[in-house]
Amino acid sequence: MADSLQAEGLKNILHDEQRLPRVPEPGAMVIFGASGDLTRRKLIPALYDLAAQRRLPMEFAVVGISRSELSHEEFRKRLRGALEEHRPGEVSGDVWESFSRGIFYLPGDSKEAETYEELKGFLRELDRERGTEGNRIFYLSSSPSLFSTIVERLGEAGMNREEDGAYSRLVVEKPFGRDLGSARELNEDIQRFFEEHQIYRIDHYLGKDTVQNILALRFSNGIFEPIWNQHYVDHVQITVAEDIGVGTRGAFYEEAGALRDIVQNHVMQVLCLTAMEPPVTFDAESVREEKVKVLKAVRPVSEDEVDLHAVRGQYERGWVFGEEVSEYREEEDVAPDSCTETYVALKVFVDNWRWAGVPFYIRAGKRLPKKATEIAIQFKPTPHTPFAHGETAGLEPNVLVVRIQPEEGISLKIGAKVPGAGFEVSSVNMDLLYGTAFLEEAPDAYQRLLLDLMLGDPTLFIRADEAEGAWEILQPVMRAWSGSGEIPSYPAGTWGPDEADELLGRDGREWRRP
Amino acid sequence: MTGMETRRSPGGDGRMSVEQIEHALGRLRMNEDGTLGLRASVLNLIVVTDEESAGDVTRSVSNIAGRYPSRAILLISDPEGEPDVNVQLSAFCSVRGGVGGHVCAEQITIHAEGGPAGHLESLAGPLLVSDLPVFLWYPGPFSPDSPEFAGMATLADRIILDSAAADEWAISLTQIAALLERDETPAVGDLQWVQLSPWRSLVAELFSLPERTGELERLRSVEILYAPDGECRALLFTGWLASTLGWGLIDVTETDDGRALRFDGPSGGVSVEMSPASSDARFRQVRLYSDDYGFEVARTHDLSEARTTVTRGGETLAERTVHLGAFDLGVLLGEELSYRGRDGVYEAALSVAVKVVNP
Repeated sequence: MADSLQAEGLKNILHDEQRLPRVPEPGAMVIFGASGDLTRRKLIPALYDLAAQRRLPMEFAVVGISRSELSHEEFRKRLRGALEEHRPGEVSGDVWESFSRGIFYLPGDSKEAETYEELKGFLRELDRERGTEGNRIFYLSSSPSLFSTIVERLGEAGMNREEDGAYSRLVVEKPFGRDLGSARELNEDIQRFFEEHQIYRIDHYLGKDTVQNILALRFSNGIFEPIWNQHYVDHVQITVAEDIGVGTRGAFYEEAGALRDIVQNHVMQVLCLTAMEPPVTFDAESVREEKVKVLKAVRPVSEDEVDLHAVRGQYERGWVFGEEVSEYREEEDVAPDSCTETYVALKVFVDNWRWAGVPFYIRAGKRLPKKATEIAIQFKPTPHTPFAHGETAGLEPNVLVVRIQPEEGISLKIGAKVPGAGFEVSSVNMDLLYGTAFLEEAPDAYQRLLLDLMLGDPTLFIRADEAEGAWEILQPVMRAWSGSGEIPSYPAGTWGPDEADELLGRDGREWRRP
Repeated sequence: MTGMETRRSPGGDGRMSVEQIEHALGRLRMNEDGTLGLRASVLNLIVVTDEESAGDVTRSVSNIAGRYPSRAILLISDPEGEPDVNVQLSAFCSVRGGVGGHVCAEQITIHAEGGPAGHLESLAGPLLVSDLPVFLWYPGPFSPDSPEFAGMATLADRIILDSAAADEWAISLTQIAALLERDETPAVGDLQWVQLSPWRSLVAELFSLPERTGELERLRSVEILYAPDGECRALLFTGWLASTLGWGLIDVTETDDGRALRFDGPSGGVSVEMSPASSDARFRQVRLYSDDYGFEVARTHDLSEARTTVTRGGETLAERTVHLGAFDLGVLLGEELSYRGRDGVYEAALSVAVKVVNP
C-alpha cells in the first residue's frame, strides 16, 4: 500500500471511495455586488448549507466586494441577519461561527483598477493564511452593465490566469445580454480574458431537480424514445405559467418583459431538453452540444412574418384565485402607458429529422390562472378506428404531459372502454406524480449549482453559443415588437389574449388547460 | 402541505392468503373520497425482528417512506410458540395539498410462530413486489449460520446487519466476515459502518491539502475515544485507516479499559490507542499525529456537531465546525438502502477488525 500511495503521488486515498461525498478543492469565491439581494438571499445560504453538510473544503473563503463601506465583521453580521431572517431557529451558532471566519469584505469600486490590485493582494494573503491554494471563483452578481468592466479589470490584473494547477472561474448571472448584439458583445468581452472552459453562465432554473428530471425521464426510459418524433407526435405545447404579477420587480420587468425574463432562458432550456437528441454521455460538452443543435435547428422567422408566429399580451385588472388584482400598468415602477409584454406565445419549428413538420407551441406569462410548468406531447390520432363514430365521441388522441411544477410527474391520456354493454370508448388520464413518490425536499438550485461550479462540472451551465442561439431565435420577434406601440391585453386570471388562441386556431388546434 | 398519514387495517387480520393481503392493501390506499392512492415503491424491505423492537422498526420504516417508498415486510418470529401466522397491514400515505392526492407505501407485519417461524422465506417471498430490489434487514442479533437466515438470504440483493446489536459484537464481526466469504452471500451492509461515514469523510478532508496529503504516510499514532458500548465502531474505524493506508497489524494489547494496537505502516510503526470515554456518544473523538502535525475530529458540546482542527507545533492551522448529521435508525437505514453492490472498503476494514478481536 505504501508503494501504491507513492505511485498515486499526493492523492488522498482516504477520500477515494464512492460512499464518501466528493468535496471540492480549496478555493476562494469573490462576489462582485456582494451587498445585493442575491448574495444575502441565495448565495450565502447555499454556501452555509454546503459548509454545514460537510460539502465545502476546510480551506474555503468568500470575499465580498461592493461600494458600501463595511468591515469584515459588519458584512458577516449583515449576512447572518439575513440567514436568520429566512430560517429562524435553524442556524447553528457554532457552524456559522466557523463558516463566517472564512467570509471577508473589501469595499471598493469595481470599475477602478486599484480595487483589483487590493483584491489580488488579499487573495494571496488568503492563500497563505487559509490555504485556498490559488483557486479562484469570480461571481458577477452586480448590475449587468458592470460585467464587461469587471472582467476587463480582472484580466488586466492577471486574475484570469490559471497558474500552477490552480483554477480561475468566472460566474455570470443571467441576463446574458438583452439581445443578440449585446449577448455577442458580452461574450466577446468575457472571452477576451477568460477561456470558455473558465466561464460558468448560471441560470438557476437548470439547477432545479425537476428540470433535470426531464433528461432522466427521456433518457432513462426506453419506452418514450421510439415515439418521441414526427412519426407519432402531432405537436408539442410548452407552458410556463405564473399566477403572480411583477410585484416589486416593476422597474426590472419594464426593461425585460416576458420574452427576456422567461422565454430567452427558461423556456428555451425546456425546449432544448424536450427536443434534443440523446447525448452520448452525460458530460458537459455532450449535453450542451445536443442543446445547441436544437437551437440551430429552430426555423428562423422573418420580421414581417412575426405576427403569424408570435403573440404578446399584457395583463389587465382581473381575478386570480378569488383575489382581485390590478393591471400591469398600475404596478409599482411601471409606466402608465407601458407596452411591455407580460405574456408571450410562440410557434416554432425544429427543422431536423426527428421533428420535421411538428410545431412547438410555447407560452409564458404572468397573472395566468395558476402556476404551472409543463410539456405536453400531443400524439397523432390512430390512423383508423374500428369503432363506430358514436362510440368514440369521448376519445381524444393520446397526450403525454411532463409536469415540471407544481406537482412533478407525468400524465398519459389513453383511450379505455367505458364499463357496460356496447363498446363506448373514452379518454382517461393516468397520472403518475413521481414527485410525490419521493417526499424528500430537493436541494436548493443554487446549492447544486455552486457545488458543481466548485467541482468544475459545467454541465448545468450555459455555453456561449447556447445563450447566443436563444437570442438569435427571438431576435426578429424583438425587432418587430420594438416598433409597435400597441399590445393586446388579457384579463388577469385568464390564459392570455384571444390572439394566442387564434395562433393555434389557425392550425386547427387549441391550447390545453394545464 | 406535506406529511405522512399511517393507515392500519382494523385489528389483527389473522391468517390471510397472498391474494387477500394484496386486496386489503389496495383498500388501505383508498381515500375517504373514494379515490385510490397510488402505490409508490422503489424497493422491497424485509425486516426480521422481535416483538419488543417491532415498534421502533415500524417507526423507522415509516420515516424512510418519504425517500424510499417501499413494500416493507416485517417478520416477527417465535419458533417456540404454537404454529400460527398472523398478518397485520398498514399504509404510510403522503398527505399533500393541491392536486397530488395520496401516494402510499405499505407495511405487512407477519407474526409467525411454531413451524412457520422456521420458514420465513416462504412467507416473505410471495409478497415481494416484482422487479424491485430486495433488502433484508436484521435490526437486532442475527445468526448467519442458522437455516432460517440462509433461507432469507436467498431472497435478498443486500443484507443490512448491525454488528453491535448483540452484546457479543466481536463474534458478530467474525460471523459477518465469514458470511462474506461465502460465494452465495449477497452484498452486506453494517449500520455501525454507516454511522462512521461522516467521521471518515471529515478525517479524509483533513488531508486534502497537497502539503498535508503526504502526512498520511507519516502518521505515527492515533487516539480514539468512544463510549463504552462503541468499541465495535471504533474498531471498524481503525480497520478503515489500517486497510486504506496499508498498515499491517503487529500486536494487540488489552489495556485497563481499552486496547492498544501496533501496526507496521509505510514509514515505520503506528500505534493506535482505543479508550472508552463518556457514554453520551458512541464515537467521540479521533486524533491522528504525524511527526509534525496533529489532526483532530471531535464532537462539540452540541453532540450533533463536530469540530475539526489541524495543528502544527502547537499552532492551529485550520479549524471548522460542521453538522455530523442525524444518526437515528431511519436515517441510517436510508443510507444503507441507497447503496448497491458490495462495499469493498467496508470489507477490508472488517477484515482488520476481525484480526484485532481474534489475534
